Amino acid sequence: MRRAARLLPLLLLAGAALASDGAAVPVELGSRGGRLWARLDLRTAFPEELRRTFANGLTNVVSLHVALLPEGGDEPAALFGRVVEVRYDVWEERWVVQVRDPQSPRGRRLVVRGWEELRGLLADARDLDLGPVAALGAGRWQLRARVELNPVSRELLERTREYIANPPSGVRGATPSRSVLGAMASYLLHGTEASEARLFHTRAFSGREVPAP
Amino acid sequence: MSAPAPPSRRWLRGARPSRFELSIALALVLAAVLPLGASLWLASRLAAENLALGLDPRVVDRLEATPALYGDLFQARKQLYAQQARALAQGLPRSPAAVGPYLQAALERTPRLRRAAVLTEAGEVAAEAENTAPNPEGEWREAPARVALPGGGTLECVFAIEAHFFAELDESRELAEAMAGVEALRAEIQRSYVRAFALLLFAWALVAGLLGWWLARRTTRRVTALVRATGELARGNLAVRVDPGRSADEVAELARAFNTMVAEVRESRDRIVYLEKISGWQDVARRLAHEIKNPLTPIQLAFQQLEARHRLLAAPDPAFARLLAEAGEIVREEIGTLERLVGEFSAFAKLPEVRPEPADLGDFAEEYARASPAEGLAAGLEVVRAAGPCPVALDRALMRTVLANLVRNAAEASRPEPARIHLGVSRTTARAVLTVGDEGPGIPPEVRERIFDPYFTTKSEGTGLGLAIAKKIVLQHGGEIEVGGRPGGGAQFTLSFPLSSPSAAGPARPS
Ligand SMILES: Nc1ncnc2c1ncn2[C@@H]1O[C@H](COP(=O)(O)OP(=O)(O)OP(=O)(O)O)[C@@H](O)[C@H]1O
Ligand SMILES: [Mg+2]
Repeated sequence: MRRAARLLPLLLLAGAALASDGAAVPVELGSRGGRLWARLDLRTAFPEELRRTFANGLTNVVSLHVALLPEGGDEPAALFGRVVEVRYDVWEERWVVQVRDPQSPRGRRLVVRGWEELRGLLADARDLDLGPVAALGAGRWQLRARVELNPVSRELLERTREYIANPPSGVRGATPSRSVLGAMASYLLHGTEASEARLFHTRAFSGREVPAP
Repeated sequence: MSAPAPPSRRWLRGARPSRFELSIALALVLAAVLPLGASLWLASRLAAENLALGLDPRVVDRLEATPALYGDLFQARKQLYAQQARALAQGLPRSPAAVGPYLQAALERTPRLRRAAVLTEAGEVAAEAENTAPNPEGEWREAPARVALPGGGTLECVFAIEAHFFAELDESRELAEAMAGVEALRAEIQRSYVRAFALLLFAWALVAGLLGWWLARRTTRRVTALVRATGELARGNLAVRVDPGRSADEVAELARAFNTMVAEVRESRDRIVYLEKISGWQDVARRLAHEIKNPLTPIQLAFQQLEARHRLLAAPDPAFARLLAEAGEIVREEIGTLERLVGEFSAFAKLPEVRPEPADLGDFAEEYARASPAEGLAAGLEVVRAAGPCPVALDRALMRTVLANLVRNAAEASRPEPARIHLGVSRTTARAVLTVGDEGPGIPPEVRERIFDPYFTTKSEGTGLGLAIAKKIVLQHGGEIEVGGRPGGGAQFTLSFPLSSPSAAGPARPS
């Protein structure tokens, strides 16, 4: 996870470069302990059609990256990343949600019963820590967000590498065999930016608009 | 300022592959790479098709739909259990005493029902029954079903659901997630397979090229050596030789042929040089003989006149007569010596041309041995002949001169002992060999180099022409003469002649 955290800025930069546009979303700003906290309403990122996907009983991963940028600029002043793993338990008929972000790097577990509740949880991106308020100064700023569903994560890459290096042999029940070509291919396997990302941005704001606690 | 190249650089320059080597290695690399290139293309197709086969989107879809199927299964079970619980509640007897046996009977009647209890409104257990026997379907999990009773209270049932459903569900979920990952990375996986294959192919071609270069080097190095030796030869170095190596291939044959050719060239050059030298000396001998011979007769005549005039004197002085007689003896003796010398010189100068005729070297040696006692020099002359004919082209008269010179030398060297001389005749594949050995003191190595030079002699009375004449005659036969030692002491001369006819290896000709 630490590695993923280190990877975040990179992904964000790539995201920021791409985030020329995207849909505008409402933002709520606040300050606590001298830090800027933002809350985004990403309801448009989770349309009704995703219900089937989220209810498929597999682990679905939602990654959210938020950057604080000067208006019209490309250099992020602060970055925030959050990874949410959602899995529908078909026996218990409820969603088990695991949220990982800088506040809880080991993850916090939530249980959600209904789809609307889950959608609300995913769409309501709250407690986004965007650094000290003082850093905002007099300039105008904007938040940009990037939401990805089931991105090719490092874990997935690792798992896939393992899978091709030890391909299941044709015989049922036999243990996977180690393959030379597969091992080399797994070594040469690189990640891809293929998964589609949804991009969002907020209105521009200045430090003065951030209400005191 | 140029510093000498460091050792490694010098080594590199030495090992720089020749163009021949490079072209062979290139041919090998090409031969290795062309089919490999084709298999690279095939491999990429194979990877793509295999991935497509293994990752049929429908398979991935079906796999992803599996958890939902289990969800449906669970749903159906839950409904069934709820229905059964409702039926149980309907049949619940009114009298509290009958509830216990009713529940017990229901347990036995209803499959998968593990426990049934009636709870009061306060939540206390009013009656309960439990199935403690092991579940016939193996391990199980609890599936509760509750029914509110019309008179207040609840009927709480616990049904069994097979635990293996959950294990299967987990397994198919993991598999589906893995397949989804592979599907997401499909293009990348294919590319990585092709990359891995290309890497392996490249390594393979490299190994093939290096191996080819190494193999080529073994041949080309010898060819390069031959090229270098030919250059040396062109520059006039006739001592050059190449190592044919141990193998029996064409290059080794070429090297051997080269060595033979160089040896032959060297021999014929030596022969020409020697013959030229001899003919120069023959010129000198002719002039010397002429210059010496001319005054000899006047000297002789003048002395005879002196003697005649003295004889005519009336009163000869006896002392002068004695002096004159002594002087006459000296003059006649010296003139005799000079005449003999002149004779040998002019014989040397007028050596006739060689007119070879077919002969057998062994027969010739035996003939000579039979006739030689006439010379009265050799006490013992024995001939040892190898079996088989040795056909050669010989000028018998001149060859007799050669043998006579050699035999005389041997006899002179053995003095005062009577000489014991061994003649040997043998043959190799291409040559007939005649050896003349004696048991005398032998010839010291520093003398050996010069004995064939004209006028080289160690004898007071010798002219030093004997061996020069012999060598000239042998060379004119296309043969060779060499001097060596005999194993038991003594000198040995080896004469070799080319065998005359190609059918030389055939049976003996009638003589
Ligand atoms: N069989 C031999 N044993 C030892 N020395 C020999 C023998 N044959 C030749 N020699 C040496 O080689 C020298 C040259 O021999 P060559 O026959 O040319 O001249 P020569 O015998 O000295 O004079 P000539 O032949 O006129 O009598 C001899 O003086 C002698 O020293
Ligand atoms: Mg002699």
